Amino acid sequence: MKRIGFTTSIPVEVIFAAGYKPVDLNNVFITDDNPGRLIEVAENEGFPRSTCAWIKGIYSAIIDRGDIDTLIGVVEGDCSNARALVEVLEQKGVNCISFSYPNSRNYDQLKKEIFKLCRYFGVEFEDCIKVKKELDAIRQRLIYLDELTWKHNRATGFENHIWQVSSSDFNGDYIGFKKELDEKIASIEKRDAKTEGKRIGYIGVPPINGDIYDFIESLNARVVYNEVQRQFTMADSVGIEDIVEVYRNFTYPYSLRGRLEDIKAQISKREIDGIIHYAQAFCFRGIEDIVIRNELKVPVLTIEGDRPGNLDQRTRLRIEAFIDMLDQ
Amino acid sequence: MRLLGIDLGSRAVKLAIFEEDKLAESRIYDTAAFYRDYCTNANQKISVDFAKLGLEGFDKVISTGYGRNNVNVENATVIVELKAHTFGAVWQTGLQNFTLLDIGGQDSKVISVKDSRMADMVLNDKCAASCGRYLENMAGVLGIDLDELIRYHENPVELNSTCAVFGESELIGKISEGYDIGELAAGVNYSLFKRIKPIVERFPGDNLVVSGGVARNEALISYIKKELGFKQVVIPQEPQLNGAIGCCAYYIATSRNKN
Repeated sequence: MKRIGFTTSIPVEVIFAAGYKPVDLNNVFITDDNPGRLIEVAENEGFPRSTCAWIKGIYSAIIDRGDIDTLIGVVEGDCSNARALVEVLEQKGVNCISFSYPNSRNYDQLKKEIFKLCRYFGVEFEDCIKVKKELDAIRQRLIYLDELTWKHNRATGFENHIWQVSSSDFNGDYIGFKKELDEKIASIEKRDAKTEGKRIGYIGVPPINGDIYDFIESLNARVVYNEVQRQFTMADSVGIEDIVEVYRNFTYPYSLRGRLEDIKAQISKREIDGIIHYAQAFCFRGIEDIVIRNELKVPVLTIEGDRPGNLDQRTRLRIEAFIDMLDQ
Repeated sequence: MRLLGIDLGSRAVKLAIFEEDKLAESRIYDTAAFYRDYCTNANQKISVDFAKLGLEGFDKVISTGYGRNNVNVENATVIVELKAHTFGAVWQTGLQNFTLLDIGGQDSKVISVKDSRMADMVLNDKCAASCGRYLENMAGVLGIDLDELIRYHENPVELNSTCAVFGESELIGKISEGYDIGELAAGVNYSLFKRIKPIVERFPGDNLVVSGGVARNEALISYIKKELGFKQVVIPQEPQLNGAIGCCAYYIATSRNKN
């Protein structure tokens, strides 16, 4: 089965409809036994030290594995690093195609992009809609898992993160994914409700340091909202048949305005005490922090991560002080 | 009531002993020497040996600082250092609304204090170039004592490196250009000021309290007074002990609230 890699969430329905295996390369990088080594490989190739670690990790994940048949580079709607990555990979002989989320969120333009993918993989749009219905059943389960986090207070912040973030490619096999998810949900349902003191919202790209969730829980607080990870589940578009509309509702690739509306609604719905805004080192989204801080009415802590591994001492201190401050 | 506040810093361990709500005694140890001489390491757990310190009979022990989660202080309440510094500065200065700049051995913290509580905070970038360690290294490069280095503030040479390591090479370059020791030392102090300035300016106000070992740096304080817009710059009586004092002050304040 052909393996189709991508740099950030794309309409995964198209890949499944074509009978291929979608691979979110971010997940390949971060779940590698030694993700730090992958960054070194890219830096030795010439990627600047002062560049996003995810881009370097994706590069090496492709080169290292050598089993990606086609790479879909999201060259608009994510970041311009992805564009340069595609150029480097093309020169290395990797088969690359590009996908763009139009900045305008224009329906027709996005439709053209999705149709371009369909043509490339030889699938009909109707086939994608059929897949979408099957995926929706799983997305419903992910919505429930999210509720187990914020409404029923049984799931951990990490469980919320990992299951939602994995829905960008459903681990390449959505039937197997659903089976595992159902088992996980059954085990979470049996737990007693958690009673931590503070409810934290996590916004921004998924963290490169996965221990952040457990660390927060060691401080009598818990992440009950993962913004971008929840967006990856397309939870707000379950039941919407038109795939173009689904990927217009996806807030992540478009303007900050749309993201903020979503974040504000979730803060109030989930009764969040404080927000942790994560920005990847060297990412343009670090600039957006200025707007975010001005817009949100709850306390915001901005943290920055660079390399994979555990949270550094300084970030731990800042998180500790922030949660302590919320207590006052 | 006899209280012990311990601030396990990266360069120094500070102890404050309170008796009947007053600072009765204080001690400062080099961190490496403290771990070597007054701590035991059993089953990968570091414990403070109070008998060796000759300190016993406390009603309560409160610890904070860089090492607070790694060092086991028996029956101690552990508090985060930003909280300790806030309580320490309120206790020492009597102020309720101020910006607190704490420059430690390994990092710098700026805390916005409103109504005696921490309202916001910023830490320096992940870098040694805005803390005490930088000054120690640069004094070494110049071949003078830290006590001498911190006195020079006039005609600073321009040092632009944002990195402590590159800063050393830059300083060596300036030495070879023939600048005198006063200008070089002032340049080091001013480069520290330049790095701290943007984080302090995040929280403008009337009062700035400066704590930590680097508060002794006369040159730095003169730049702060001259170039930052605070009406008053306050150095508490015991700047380096501020965190340890804050541990005791925190306990006094919170136990009083409970009663």
